[in-house]
Amino acid sequence: MIDKNLYLDRNKTVIFGIFENPDSFLETVGKVHSKGVDIIDCYTPFPIHGIEKAMGLKRSLLPIGAFISGSLGFIGAGSLQYYTMTYDWPIIIGNKPSFGVSFVPVWFEGTILFTAFGLALLFFIRNKMLHGKMPSERVDMRQTDDRMVVAIASDNPAINKSELTDMLFNGGAVEVKERTNHGYEDFTDVNLTRNN
Amino acid sequence: MIHDSAIRTQLVTGEKTLHDVTTEICRPIENKPSTSWKVGFVLSVIFLGILGLTLAITTLFGIGTWGLNKTVQWGWDITNFVFWVGIGHAGTLISAILLLFRQKWRMSINRSAEAMTIFAVMCAAVFPLFHMGRLWVGMYWVLPLPNAFGSLWGNFHSPLLWDVFAITTYFSVSLVFWYLGLIPDIATVRDRATTAGRKFWYNFFSMGWTGSVRTWNRYEVVSLILAGISTPLVLSVHTIVSMDFATSVVPGWHTTIFPPYFVAGAIFSGFGMVLTLLVIVRKVMNYQDYITIGHLEAMCKVVMLTGTMVGLAYITEFFVAAYSGVVYEQYAFINRATGPYWWAYWSMMTCNLIAPQVFWFKWARTTPWFIFMLSIVVNVGMWFERFVIIVTSLHREYLPSGWVMYSPTIIEIGIFVGTFGLFFTCFFLFSKFLPVINMSEVKSILKNRE
Repeated sequence: MIDKNLYLDRNKTVIFGIFENPDSFLETVGKVHSKGVDIIDCYTPFPIHGIEKAMGLKRSLLPIGAFISGSLGFIGAGSLQYYTMTYDWPIIIGNKPSFGVSFVPVWFEGTILFTAFGLALLFFIRNKMLHGKMPSERVDMRQTDDRMVVAIASDNPAINKSELTDMLFNGGAVEVKERTNHGYEDFTDVNLTRNN
Repeated sequence: MIHDSAIRTQLVTGEKTLHDVTTEICRPIENKPSTSWKVGFVLSVIFLGILGLTLAITTLFGIGTWGLNKTVQWGWDITNFVFWVGIGHAGTLISAILLLFRQKWRMSINRSAEAMTIFAVMCAAVFPLFHMGRLWVGMYWVLPLPNAFGSLWGNFHSPLLWDVFAITTYFSVSLVFWYLGLIPDIATVRDRATTAGRKFWYNFFSMGWTGSVRTWNRYEVVSLILAGISTPLVLSVHTIVSMDFATSVVPGWHTTIFPPYFVAGAIFSGFGMVLTLLVIVRKVMNYQDYITIGHLEAMCKVVMLTGTMVGLAYITEFFVAAYSGVVYEQYAFINRATGPYWWAYWSMMTCNLIAPQVFWFKWARTTPWFIFMLSIVVNVGMWFERFVIIVTSLHREYLPSGWVMYSPTIIEIGIFVGTFGLFFTCFFLFSKFLPVINMSEVKSILKNRE
């Protein structure tokens, strides 16, 4: 898989296909990928199911992160209760054992709390999301509204540019453009047209 | 790909395009507030002021300003606490449990229901916090910090401390879930923003979201896991609230049916409040195409089912009291139905068990004004349920010398009314500054995508 940030590098060129219909978008992305073309990324206003397969994305490892952070919560809540109520200062209340089922609720809640917060934190780290961060890949201002964008490296060994352009147009793209990046939000766009 | 059923009705009507969804849902954010919004907001802020005033009086003079007396130590205060926590249950139920069950009708209502959850839990928190009297000392009564005079820790055997953990976990996990769902929509507002202020703030909260498929892919994983852990969390919260009562020896409280009964009641009251809000929201904000009669009907069915479950629990309690042969239990229940607070008991029975049965009729489930009226009845009924459980049990305990009557003071009434101010102030702000309907989810269920 090509580095996602590739096209942001200086003077790298990327071809963007802009679509308005999610079904034809999904179909075209699948076709482009099956040709052996590396897709840098796609941008959609809503989650399109099946596109991760069409793009050839691997399964996310976040569930493992969730499990680890949940385990930390499990150990944390358990040891807090054990330390305070059993080890440090055991108190017999209502003849309940100093280590027993009355620890279950807090144990459970602690596990849930850590899972949720750990997972959310890992999600933000993995996506490099931060409050106030400027969006890095806004190809079309309507990509969060009603347009879907596919980003493909233009110097692709598997397919030549005109063939790719035609493929995108035939798949239902409303616009295909080639962008050369010079810096942040500093680029030159060339609109590509259908060849035949 | 969407595979539509030929039989099912559309979830979003009006032949919307993707762009229609964006413009219509962003409209209140991008335009000046309407007169009805302003009037409602000012009214809410006035009630919020009442809350501030009554809480200031409570803090200055102590909880002696409340009508709580020796035996009914938990009068309106904990009644209102349980009332609000119960309301808070619909939001996460809709977004988590219905997500696991793949109920797509949740998509147009989950955002506002989750917001309602968060605001309701905030209102609920007011009561136990101020019930501690000296709030500033109370912080180490609830947190597991060593006592200043030695190493005496918070008591983890106590259901009250479980409740602290349950409610703070519930509040913060609901907040995380809500905020994660909001990020893509905040980014949509950001990309449409025309003013500098809106550009800055929506950019700040959108965290650089671009709608990249890699991010969406992870987002879906996170949603699913959060839904999976929130489901037992929702059930645990009201279970633990019920244990505040059930683990005691007070007749009428010492009941093993409490956890499922409280959870059903919480879902019932939560859906009651969701209906109260959404019937108004869809009308005032003109969202009838998103929150359709079909949505209202589905929620009415949940209300009817959970209302009947709650009613069954009321009757079971009576049977178990009679069958137990314990005179104290038997007296507690006879006293509820025929004692000095009989009117509260029968209001509860009428509002919660009998009234929702009208939802067997299709007309009742599909007429918004009628649903609105009935949702108010449900809210009232569920408030009375908590009042009945708390006050009738405490005012006639084992020792006849402790038998008293309880009535709230003006300060208690003020705090309760004031929490509605807090709730609606938050809700009005939410409806002005954030998309009330989850745009990105609704876009994925549009039938007409051309």
